[in-house]
Amino acid sequence: MKSNNDNILQKTGTVSLWYRSAVVTAVVSGIFSLIVCVFLLGNHGRSIIVKTQQETELLDLRAQSRKQPDNEQLLAQIRAMDLQIRQQRLRALDRSTKGGYLLLGGIVVLVISLKLTGTLKKKLPAPHASKDAADEQIRKAAFARWMMGAGVVLLGAASLFLALKPKIDFSLTGAAGTSLTSAEQAAKSWPSFRGPDGSGISTHVNVPSDWDGKTGKGILWKTKVPLVGNNSPIVWGDRIFLSGGDPNALQVYCFDAASGALLWTGDVTRVAPKEGEDPLEPMEDTGFAAPTMATDGRHVYAIFVTGDVGCFDFNGRKVWEKSLGIPDSSYGYASSLAVYRNLLLIQYDQGGIEDGLSALIALDGFSGQIAWQTKRPVGNSWSSPIVARIGEQAQVITCADPWVIAYEPAKGTEIWRAKCLKGDIAPSPIYSNGLVFAVEPYSKLVAIRTGGAGDVTQTHIAWSNEDTGPDICSPASNGQFVFLLATEGLLICHKVSDGTKVWEHDFQEYFRASPSLVGDKLYLLSEKGRMFIIEAGPAYKELTKCELGEDCHASPAFADGRIFIRGMQNLYCIGSSN
Amino acid sequence: MIRSAYVITGIAVLLVSCGLVWAVERFPPPDFEGGHQLPSPTTPHPRQDIYEYIDVAVLLAALGLASYLVLKKRSRRAIFALTVFSLLYFGFWREGCICPVGATQNIVLSIFDAAYVVPITVAAFFLLPLVFTLFFGRTFCAAVCPLGAIQDVVLCRPVAVPNWAESGLRLLAYVYLGAAVLFAATSSAFVICRYDPFISVFRLTGSLNILILSGCLLLIGVFIGRPYCRFLCPYGVILRQLSRLSRRRVTITPDECIRCKLCEDACPFGAIRKPAAQWSGQDYRVAKKRLALLVLALPVLILLGGWAGSSLKAVTARGHATVRLAERIYLEETGVVTDTTDASSAFRATGKPIEQLYKDASSIRARFGLGGWFFGGFVGLVAGLKLIGLSVWRQRKDYEADRASCLACSRCFEYCPREHVRLNKTKDIKS
Repeated sequence: MKSNNDNILQKTGTVSLWYRSAVVTAVVSGIFSLIVCVFLLGNHGRSIIVKTQQETELLDLRAQSRKQPDNEQLLAQIRAMDLQIRQQRLRALDRSTKGGYLLLGGIVVLVISLKLTGTLKKKLPAPHASKDAADEQIRKAAFARWMMGAGVVLLGAASLFLALKPKIDFSLTGAAGTSLTSAEQAAKSWPSFRGPDGSGISTHVNVPSDWDGKTGKGILWKTKVPLVGNNSPIVWGDRIFLSGGDPNALQVYCFDAASGALLWTGDVTRVAPKEGEDPLEPMEDTGFAAPTMATDGRHVYAIFVTGDVGCFDFNGRKVWEKSLGIPDSSYGYASSLAVYRNLLLIQYDQGGIEDGLSALIALDGFSGQIAWQTKRPVGNSWSSPIVARIGEQAQVITCADPWVIAYEPAKGTEIWRAKCLKGDIAPSPIYSNGLVFAVEPYSKLVAIRTGGAGDVTQTHIAWSNEDTGPDICSPASNGQFVFLLATEGLLICHKVSDGTKVWEHDFQEYFRASPSLVGDKLYLLSEKGRMFIIEAGPAYKELTKCELGEDCHASPAFADGRIFIRGMQNLYCIGSSN
Repeated sequence: MIRSAYVITGIAVLLVSCGLVWAVERFPPPDFEGGHQLPSPTTPHPRQDIYEYIDVAVLLAALGLASYLVLKKRSRRAIFALTVFSLLYFGFWREGCICPVGATQNIVLSIFDAAYVVPITVAAFFLLPLVFTLFFGRTFCAAVCPLGAIQDVVLCRPVAVPNWAESGLRLLAYVYLGAAVLFAATSSAFVICRYDPFISVFRLTGSLNILILSGCLLLIGVFIGRPYCRFLCPYGVILRQLSRLSRRRVTITPDECIRCKLCEDACPFGAIRKPAAQWSGQDYRVAKKRLALLVLALPVLILLGGWAGSSLKAVTARGHATVRLAERIYLEETGVVTDTTDASSAFRATGKPIEQLYKDASSIRARFGLGGWFFGGFVGLVAGLKLIGLSVWRQRKDYEADRASCLACSRCFEYCPREHVRLNKTKDIKS
């Protein structure tokens, strides 16, 4: 049944023509708007796709250009591609702007014509048949209540779902803010030279004490290391990391702790010497890869005698690399790396005291950018920094001629310093029982009380024993005694309380590896690969000795039931298959 | 035949116009290697203050005119003309900023952050529509708000939304208001501005997601009258409550209602209430019990809402940049992710301690926990009051425009025969 309005429309030819024109205009403008819309979306999608492909190529080229800064052809290619991308972007933007105006125009025409059709074919109101208004209101209110109730339940369920999702609890990160995983795993692992805090103390006491490299007894596996290096192995989970180098290559190796398989090899670019500069030829004893690597559980870091630093993830992907410049070091750079949270700490001591070249450098582990850098008033040294937890505070402790200096690891600000060393400082400091122990080769052992600020030379040196001091090996302490091992094989035990000598023993062998403490036992690895296991007590008592059958310079790494030892050629895993 | 000719002509025009979109490519692109001298960068001058005062003056004039046109002149055509003007001026010319809807957040921020001072023009934009609503009803929504205007303009084939759906969907606007206040009070974000669906249309640019949202809302708006105003607008929530108290208001009829039913379907926003008789005794007893239960449930709903809002603090606090950064750094620190973002790299470059960042993030979360109690409690209160409102019987003799929901668009006037009498239009019919 047609309404009066329809009849009027049919009868009035002019109105009908206007109406039909409006309908056609609406259809045309609608299709037009739709097509413009499709074009705009296509333009947008195209720009995204083009951007992704070309920008990836451009990034690759840029990465290449960093390695070949003098390659003019490559630079020209980068410029051309960059220009092309910019031109495409501007064209897409221009198309998008023009298309936007066209779309707006199309929609305006569409809306006007639709409104016109509505006006030209307006229906008169047609009231519905009378219903019971009260019943209708009750029914509608009931529906609305149910709807509202459903809405409330839906909101509640959504809130509950979101509230129950796992969330990050910042308070669980501990007072120092160290990440949970790293802190726990670092303690279980051997993440840097001489273990988690550089003290040479193993957290695992179930390590083997009986093996023989010649018969293979107690040796789980043995794997050849591609390139030589004096650095010690570091361990994180089921991975062992080492570095090696020669004049042609600087490499990082990752081994599987279970099988000894070489999982990957990472190459660190050796920055070529500048024109007129002589290529570095380090001492044979130092080699290209003397500094021990470090890891924070996500990345592994290595530094070489050339001052080239590389960072890799656990899958062998190179995250970044950086050159600090060839260090001016008498025997070749040998300080090992340390890690504090996301910072890689490098004790970059070089030149003489007056040269002002030495610095403690913190690189951001994620980017390789310098987080902070603090100048050090010292000459070149071969000692490694340690990160010690002293009360609630972490301190980076460093030794060099003439200062022992402690720094705040997050910012690099100096906390205290003591002037007590002289000469070529190679042994690293340790922290035990409230004292920092520093060694001056052939001369003395110094104990410094922590807790001071500024120059503490006159106020915080607890004692100094000037009988002797090792020239390479770092000390070890169980809190009651400090053990010093000289390269020539003389082991001396001092009291922590006053520094007096308790006993000494001459092994008649050479040692390069630093002593390690496992429970109440002291592990001493000689250059000939003989491990002396003795009691760390008030009197000398040898418990056993084990042969590796290969010369060793590196300090061993300790893990759960395992010892990892780097020989001159091979990496050994000692332990039982159980 | 004529129809086919129209279609062919239309398609031809369309194709020519579409060609223009691609024709742009034929224009020479900017020459980067032609020795072009790049102009030295200069800081653009800020918009002169005088224009902001002009905006306030235009707002004041538009509100006054809208109130006059709705209540005195009762002219839909004039209201529509003013709507188009507001759309062009406040929308496309002023690009939708500042608008009273977003100004709500500035006011909230100034209350909770002593260091933030609200510019007088922003305060005027927030307050003027409220004052006018208090006196004249929602005349701001009728013809001044650019967000409402663009939806009103595209409304072509109105479809009625069932009452039950309308009641449920309207709760969203209260949740949105609560969230906007929470995020502004914690100095986290101006969510109303960030997710404004029509700013992108006014500026002819925006992110793809927001443009799609705009398109969808406008497409829905062709059939459902002003979906953003009715179901999402947080400022509309405030205007609804003030409109209930308004001194003067829109009436469908200029004098008396003759209950002719002609205006029954006139409102595309479902704001006309029909006459309703008294309840039967049986219904009344049931309703009384229900009402008592709901009144008792109100504090429970408030508490439950508050608890839920507070429990969401870890989620809602992610709206704050510091918390997002702290979470990212935490993931990097714990090795869950192995790469960095620009924000985390920038933070690390500052050398600021991570503990401090965690501490700041925890403190912000605690603020969200407290704010969540108020936010959730507010939502619970609104839901409870709405349930109570839906259980209260309202006896009505005449057809009336709902005080809260009526957007004062003036569409219903022309349906009323008494209006035609007032305008002497009946003479034409008689003649």
